[in-house]
Amino acid sequence: MATTEVLGLRARERIGRLDRIWEERPGLVGWLTTVDHKRIGILYFFTTLAFFGAGGVEALLMRTQLARPDDHVLGPSRYDQLMTMHGVTMIFLFVIPMTIGAFGNYLVPLMLGARDMAFPRLNALSYWLFLGSGCLIYASVFLNMAPDAGWFDYVPLALKRYDTGLNIDFYALGLIFNGISSTVAAINFVVTIFKLRAPGMSLNRMPLFVFAILAVSLSLIFALPALTVDCVFLELQRRLGFHFFDVGHGGSALLWQHLFWFFGHPEVYIIVLPAFGIATSIIPTFAKHRMIAFPLVAMAELLVAFIGFGVWAHHMFATGIPTATLVFFAAASMMVVIPSTIQIYAWTVTVMMGKPEFKAPLLFIGGFITFFVIGGLSGIMFAAIPFDQATTDTYFVVAHFHFIIFGAAVFPILGGMYYWFPKVSGRLYHEPVAKASFWLTFLGTALTFFPMHIVGLLGMPRRVYTYQSGLGWDAYNLSETIGAFILTAGLLLIFGNLVWSRFRGPPAGPDPFYGGTLEWATTSPPPHYNFAVIPTVTSPYPNWDRDDRAEDARKLEAGELVLEEGHETPASTVRDGYLDEVLEMPSESWWPLTLGVFVTLLFVMLLLAHFVVAGIFGALCVLALGGWHAQEPAEA
Amino acid sequence: MLALAGCGSGAGGRQNVLHPESHAERRIDTLWWVMLVGSAIGFGVIALLLFLGWARRNRDQLPFGGGERAATILVVSLGIAVPVVVLATLFVWSDIFVLRSTAAPSVKSTQMTIDVVGRQWFWEVRYPGTKAVTANEIHIPTRTRVNVVGTTADVIHSFWVPELNRKMDFIPGHPNRLLLEADQPGAYRGQCAEYCGLQHAHMSMWVYADPPDRFRAWLANMAKPARAPTTADERRGQRVFLSSPCASCHTIRGTNAHGTVGPDLTHLGTRTTLAALVLPNNRAALEEWLRDPQHVKPGNRMPRVPLSDADYRALTTYLESLR
Amino acid sequence: MSEHALPRRAPRPKPLAHPNGWWGMALFLGSEAVLFGALLATYYYLRFKAVHWPPLGTPEPKVVLPLVLTAILVTTSVPMQLALRAAQEGRLAATRLLLAVALAVQATYFGLQIHLFLGDLAKFSPGDHAYESIYFTLVGAHHTHVAVGLLLDVWLLLRLSTGLTRYRLTGLWATTFFWHFVNGLAVLVVLTQVSPAL
Repeated sequence: MATTEVLGLRARERIGRLDRIWEERPGLVGWLTTVDHKRIGILYFFTTLAFFGAGGVEALLMRTQLARPDDHVLGPSRYDQLMTMHGVTMIFLFVIPMTIGAFGNYLVPLMLGARDMAFPRLNALSYWLFLGSGCLIYASVFLNMAPDAGWFDYVPLALKRYDTGLNIDFYALGLIFNGISSTVAAINFVVTIFKLRAPGMSLNRMPLFVFAILAVSLSLIFALPALTVDCVFLELQRRLGFHFFDVGHGGSALLWQHLFWFFGHPEVYIIVLPAFGIATSIIPTFAKHRMIAFPLVAMAELLVAFIGFGVWAHHMFATGIPTATLVFFAAASMMVVIPSTIQIYAWTVTVMMGKPEFKAPLLFIGGFITFFVIGGLSGIMFAAIPFDQATTDTYFVVAHFHFIIFGAAVFPILGGMYYWFPKVSGRLYHEPVAKASFWLTFLGTALTFFPMHIVGLLGMPRRVYTYQSGLGWDAYNLSETIGAFILTAGLLLIFGNLVWSRFRGPPAGPDPFYGGTLEWATTSPPPHYNFAVIPTVTSPYPNWDRDDRAEDARKLEAGELVLEEGHETPASTVRDGYLDEVLEMPSESWWPLTLGVFVTLLFVMLLLAHFVVAGIFGALCVLALGGWHAQEPAEA
Repeated sequence: MLALAGCGSGAGGRQNVLHPESHAERRIDTLWWVMLVGSAIGFGVIALLLFLGWARRNRDQLPFGGGERAATILVVSLGIAVPVVVLATLFVWSDIFVLRSTAAPSVKSTQMTIDVVGRQWFWEVRYPGTKAVTANEIHIPTRTRVNVVGTTADVIHSFWVPELNRKMDFIPGHPNRLLLEADQPGAYRGQCAEYCGLQHAHMSMWVYADPPDRFRAWLANMAKPARAPTTADERRGQRVFLSSPCASCHTIRGTNAHGTVGPDLTHLGTRTTLAALVLPNNRAALEEWLRDPQHVKPGNRMPRVPLSDADYRALTTYLESLR
Repeated sequence: MSEHALPRRAPRPKPLAHPNGWWGMALFLGSEAVLFGALLATYYYLRFKAVHWPPLGTPEPKVVLPLVLTAILVTTSVPMQLALRAAQEGRLAATRLLLAVALAVQATYFGLQIHLFLGDLAKFSPGDHAYESIYFTLVGAHHTHVAVGLLLDVWLLLRLSTGLTRYRLTGLWATTFFWHFVNGLAVLVVLTQVSPAL
């Protein structure tokens, strides 16, 4: 409902009541005890940005070392730690928490027309666990014992025999810890998406961004346990002398790889799917047209995730596994391309069908499509087994996945930052500078990662801390380094624009871009309770249904679907979105932070091999869970 | 830029995937060029659609006047039908036919076998049926199908000679086989392609394809024990070698040195490089290496052994004499 | 208040969909299913690479006792499900009794299994071979889940001592679901555990 309308007396009273019920404590205490999904999204946003900066610095240091052959900016030990931490940071501490923790948390309840996530305290817990795991992993950097066996940490290199310090233990325990945060967040999203939709929002009227988050969450739930088991095996072997990976005692080095990649391949779809979701939010808004083939696109998002579970051994094509295995996984890898091509053509045809306005968010999506197509094409090449066997573990594959991760996952994040900045901050960003920031970032990205294709074909392996001159690699490496700095300048320009606009930008109003989804149907920024009237939904683009939204103003006055008796949100049936019951939601709580601290200390004690103390913290965790669940919602 | 890669640029072109020198690598090379052309077409279609979207941004219809139904048909045909056909074709060609050329050869189809063991951070090379053992330099006769059997003594390495074939991982307890065959005489550079620790970046190798006579002569020489020292300097050098930690890590066949931690040095003088292609094999480089291996290749397993200058020089003379 | 908003005060109509807590448990169990899938897959992967399984010198696993104990555990799904039914009908006393019966049997099962586990550890150790490593990890993971189930039962009994609310009913619903899962998994785990001796 529009806030510019003049509100009647009763409406103003209801809004006052909602404000009082939903407000949180001021200051730091409010942030530490918050269960408001928007605040949690903002906490995730700034924390992941800090890790993005760390990962970026790691990349720039590596590129500086590689700018020239046989250079001595970094020695092998430091380089190997940087190389590993860059991968771990960007994947586990930046991209995933940014897309689901920041964007997902902030937007999903708003897009669903709900007042919060299904489990608000669990949401806060996922943030504190994420922060704890990130701090644990980064403690290793400050102690100069960062993990150094690569982000996929193959054995035997990662076993105690070859990596004697605590480096790998930071890795294994850190990832188990981080996995708990992601699993908990994923469960929360699925339940929210199934149960907390606005009345009338059947599954086929759900925004495509929400479909993407649903696909991501289901993937996380079913993929992470393989990584957890792998890391548990590794720690049991390293710390307690178990035998999983050493051939001499009946183990297998490939066991690590199978379990890792069973997680690792779905992980890359987890990285890129939210980006698809952001693209499918931005395109209809700026093309001023509904997404073409909406049901196909929604299904494709889910199908990519599903088929993505069946392709993992394509990361192992050079390991000597049997030919039949190779061929099976190559076939599956070809199949997984199809849902992506459906989406690419749906996006581009939607842009063609509409009257696109190329503001900064849509430019970033244009960049995204460009890079995703190139990265996807090189990905298809890897499904041709002999070519994979020639170019895997070279800079060709480094080019491929950076085109996908940076080009296809980060560009929509950057575009999404511009797109939703007005909603979150209430102000507009500076459009001309935003367009310039796009071109600078695009140029930097292309210059950094495109030459990697060539230098990989020229024989440069990956994960090398230096290279010799005379192999034809020098000029490409230098241009990649220059590109990296241009890219950094582009990113700094984006952030500079957003920071400046936060303080000096003109007011945005609730809906500056005429978006079709429900986050644009409330104020900028939204109040704690999101919507004064729970919106009723009759199409996939409810904010374009102006009659329905005009009804909301009438309902506010009459007190329909305002749910002002308590801290309330409606719950829906799963498939059809019928209003099923009204739920009482928890308000601020110290339990998530408390439990987060206990879990962090538990993992620290495990790292230090103080198992008894760890057990004590484990018991404290159980008690904290008891305290948490002793608080029950008020009911009849 | 891509065309340059195909030609092999500058003084290198020596580890170039697109510079095939064998049948197997030629199949990979052809596969690449066909896929590149296909990719360019695919990218071109998207670029065209995006361009049309921009150029026709004031009209809300498809270029040929279709509405939503036509748009959906376009998505289904370009997004499903065309990719299915293209990918199925690519799959059959690359993963059934081309794969036959790059798969591990049946032993019967090969004419000789070489055992290679990956170690941190060098390649140990043995010729079964002879006593020949060397490191980082593999000689094969031209136009001969060679069966390389690979394992590792420690962590996973990957054997990769780009101009001759795909890479093959060396995994503990899981010997893998790779076909090595060169059409013509020459030097083909390879490098470890699986991150294996601190000096992964410096674990390269040469594969020399020799005409069959030259190969036989080389192999016969390799199988012999070490040349005995003939000058006083060489004798002094041998004494230094045998009485220092050197002998506990290295083997020189025909002496009492039987160490297995480092490479076999019996015919060190015949190799063109040192330390897995980090240094050229000349007097100055060899002495530099002996004086401070950790400075040249930090983290490798060879410690600095303090000796007098005269001893270093004698040791260098001796090792150089091992032809 | 108009008829569009559901009345919150009694009588509360029964919702059509399962409660959020039930869905949360369902998804959590999905993740645990993959966890055990990975453990079981590891067992069979290592087994089919091995020549001797168990390795020479390691005794074959006991068959009868683990199977019997598992059968007993599986039967506790019955009192758990009946307890849930009783709670859904508002019969608090019956709920608590059935839950206590289930807990008693589950706890006995757990105690006996731990005794067997420790006995095994005295005879062969995970540090010997991959067989022992995966054996103890798989079986230990199962016992850990049983322990969690026991804690959930105790918690529920404590909370139900002061009455039955919708929140506690959801808790019981989720816990019963948890036990069905653990019991089903127990069958897979024990069959794997004893398989070399079959």
